[in-house]
Amino acid sequence: MRSVPTWLLTAALLTFFLGPFVWQVLTSLRPEAELTAPGLPRALTLEAYRSVLGGRPFLHVVLNSLVVATATTISCLAVGASAAFALAKLRFPGRSLLLGAALAVSMFPPIATVSPLYLALRAVGLRDTLGGLVVPYATFALPLTLWLLTSYFRQLPDELYRAARVDGCTPFQAFRRVLLPLVLPGLATTGILVFIFSWNEFLYALTFISSPGKRTIPVAISLFAGEHAEPFAEIAAASILATLPLVVLTVLFQRRIVSGLTAGAVKG
Amino acid sequence: MTGQDASRAERLQAAFLVAPAVLVLAAVALFPILAAVWLSLHRSILVFGEERFIGVENYAFLLRDTRFLTALGNTAYFTLVAVTVELLLAMPLALLMNRAFPGRGLLRASVLIPWAIPTVVAAKLWAWMYNPDFGLLNQLWPGRDVNWLGTPGLALHAAILVDVWKTTPFVALLLLAGLQGIPQDLYKAARVDGAGPWRVFWRITLPLLSPALLIALLFRTLDAFRVFDAIYVLTEGGPANTTETLSIYAYKTLMRSGNFGYGSTLSVVTFLCVVLLALGYLRLLGRSGVTR
Amino acid sequence: MRGQGTSAALALLLWAGTTACAREHPQVAKTPPSPHRTRIVFKHQPLWGDEAPFRALLRQFERTHPHLEVVTEHIPNAADVAHQYFLTALEGGASDFDVLVVDVVWVSEFARAGWIADISGAFPPETLREAYFVGPVEAVVVEGRTFAVPWFVDVGLLYFRTDLVPRAPRTYAELERFATQAMARQPGLAGYVWQGRQYEGLTCNVYEAFWGRGGETMEGGRIALKTPPMSQALAYLRGLLTSGVSPPSVTSAAEEEVRRTFQQGNAVFMRNWPYAWSELQAPGSPVRGRVGWAPLPTESGEAGAGTLGGWQLALNAHTPPERREDALRLIAHLASADANLLMALHYARNPPRRSVYAAPALHDGAPFIASLLPAIERARPRPVTPYYNLVADILQSEFSAAINGIRTPEAAMERAQRLVDHLMEEAP
Repeated sequence: MRSVPTWLLTAALLTFFLGPFVWQVLTSLRPEAELTAPGLPRALTLEAYRSVLGGRPFLHVVLNSLVVATATTISCLAVGASAAFALAKLRFPGRSLLLGAALAVSMFPPIATVSPLYLALRAVGLRDTLGGLVVPYATFALPLTLWLLTSYFRQLPDELYRAARVDGCTPFQAFRRVLLPLVLPGLATTGILVFIFSWNEFLYALTFISSPGKRTIPVAISLFAGEHAEPFAEIAAASILATLPLVVLTVLFQRRIVSGLTAGAVKG
Repeated sequence: MTGQDASRAERLQAAFLVAPAVLVLAAVALFPILAAVWLSLHRSILVFGEERFIGVENYAFLLRDTRFLTALGNTAYFTLVAVTVELLLAMPLALLMNRAFPGRGLLRASVLIPWAIPTVVAAKLWAWMYNPDFGLLNQLWPGRDVNWLGTPGLALHAAILVDVWKTTPFVALLLLAGLQGIPQDLYKAARVDGAGPWRVFWRITLPLLSPALLIALLFRTLDAFRVFDAIYVLTEGGPANTTETLSIYAYKTLMRSGNFGYGSTLSVVTFLCVVLLALGYLRLLGRSGVTR
Repeated sequence: MRGQGTSAALALLLWAGTTACAREHPQVAKTPPSPHRTRIVFKHQPLWGDEAPFRALLRQFERTHPHLEVVTEHIPNAADVAHQYFLTALEGGASDFDVLVVDVVWVSEFARAGWIADISGAFPPETLREAYFVGPVEAVVVEGRTFAVPWFVDVGLLYFRTDLVPRAPRTYAELERFATQAMARQPGLAGYVWQGRQYEGLTCNVYEAFWGRGGETMEGGRIALKTPPMSQALAYLRGLLTSGVSPPSVTSAAEEEVRRTFQQGNAVFMRNWPYAWSELQAPGSPVRGRVGWAPLPTESGEAGAGTLGGWQLALNAHTPPERREDALRLIAHLASADANLLMALHYARNPPRRSVYAAPALHDGAPFIASLLPAIERARPRPVTPYYNLVADILQSEFSAAINGIRTPEAAMERAQRLVDHLMEEAP
């Protein structure tokens, strides 16, 4: 590939992936009367942002989402990484069965699980708590975590693990001290995916949470719509405000991935 | 320490390491799934106030239900086209993101934006652009008055485009992670041998990327087959059920009609379809050495 | 690099944290919770606009009932989402909310399913009949028992451009003629926009065209679909699309899509709910001052009936006995004539009570709502049956097939009638 086609391709892909988002940003800045006017906006206003941030507890909602998504990601990675290590490097019966069963869990249509989960969460007193979201989120994100991390652990040479054992590490120590640091880029990738999954979940968040103070972003955005009227500029503004923390976090995580620990590690 | 003791100790450690994952999956995920399977064997319509065991009667009805067959067809078509396009787009995207060039950081961060937007909002954003009267797409294409979401046949493709926009970054990110696992030495060696870029791609990149590719394909297929939010916001299954997928049908049956029995049956059958698809992929994965 | 990243993330969290604390729980009534006060939870959709008058209404109730604390919790306005929430929660026996809002087409379903309580004792059907319009009472009284109290009503209207047509059309033929004439004068203009997406709005539009041709919703206890007026109604709507009086965009349009097209000045006629009025007449609206409304046209020329919409207040059947009396008092307070007036003046919600339309305050503060009286009196409900949500699913797909020309109106209604009859036979 020469550099001109590369730039063309980059531009085309950026236009496709960013274009709609830029349009959304422009829409959020249009005055209500100009929302449907053709072409570029003639006037810009921050009215929609003022309306989202004032009067409604939007920042509180963002905080809730941050808490839920962070807790989900951490618990998912904690539970998933150790299991993935065992699946990739240790010999024990039922490995494929576990991977298969985990996959099956992620294949069930979520809508059919809402009612039974609601009853279960209420029975254990987790309904209307942020923990009541973290538990199902972490569970349903676990299959993807297991599969991804298992494949990352497999990429590491077996010699690494054996060398660690010869040096006197228990399997767990080998995992913690030798292998885990080497799959950090994989953990970062998986973490981003899990984080965004829990950030965006709507169905469970709507059904399991009732207190206004515990609401998460997708539900809060759904409350913007009126009985018939739909303030599109406000919805656009709220969605942009909700996306910003994610973009910041992604950029931070991307650095981890870019730092390219993999390339050096595999050689080691 | 004998070898046997060592392997027993290892098995014990392994059990200890996987136990949390197994417990979580069994405790949280298994119960609702079994509950749904159990309900699918019942006639249970909330407003009728009856719930009785009818065995596989719901499943027998399903085979005669033309609406189910239409939804199955729509779902299969959606999955096939969406996942294919996503892979074809994600591959160059991942290759690009893996190259060192100015602006790479910007590309990486911005490409993830579609995936970071809640699906419901992303779908609303596209519905806004699809609007025949004031949407961006018809403005960019003057003289054409395309009714993207209201034309049978076109609406499903409009939904596919939204899915492609939204989830290609997910695939690209997985492929990128796979690309970064390929040792640079191999490329250097290939260059020394004088191999052209295409040859390098087919001989080195693609084979070594295949585990990542298959995992991406697997999870995307399983997700696309259960597509719900995007279509629900865009069309609610209309016009005339031409965009109704299995999940939309199941949703309407469960949550609008309160027909828990048949709605669960639809969910279980969706699940079974996905299992079949997954088994197909797992065979491929097994061949490529991802699962041993 | 790494340190920077972490501190940035921390800063983000802290920023979100501090701002969050500054505005905690603004939806909970200001008075601090006290162990001596009973909490009554009211679950409803956001009302829009300034929340202060509604808060004042609740505080007024707390002042007269010092032993109570009223907490409001919001559910999304989208009817499907709200239905799903209530279905999951109420079927699961939830008692964490006491008073809830119920759509006009859900009352008998919720009553039959045992989710909302019989409140005939506090609100006897006879007294409701005296105070309220016929349509909403028909919706909340199930088999002679009251299960909800009307909160506000909605009705389908015809909006027209006073600068493009001489007067409101009375018949369908007139509507088509006026539209074609205006379209001939001004190319690019759409004639008549309405809600044709496959959803509940389409059902409302079809029923209005059906009633306008003398159609009767129920015949001998059966939902009448395979009837000449219904076929004519669907053929008429399909004809609007094929003749070009209605633009193709109608088949994917809900309320807001057509409202925006009309407000932009791009259509002659629009079918919509009363909410559109204040949007169309808002400062900066391109059609401000050039819009009128009228009852929907009919075949014969007499004023047509719009579909009845709106929300009711109901009592959760799982609310424990010790909270029931107080929850009923809250319903009575929220449904009072004064509250109806407040809802009309501050939130443009149309009162379901006849007497409120005579109030001078309404004529001064919300003249448009006051003028709706005849339209609301004529409003008709969609089929009143506990199985409405099962029926609606069938209707929406068959109506959509008919207006998109996938099936002829006759074939579509043949199918719909068969499916609906089968459903009703199966019902206990």
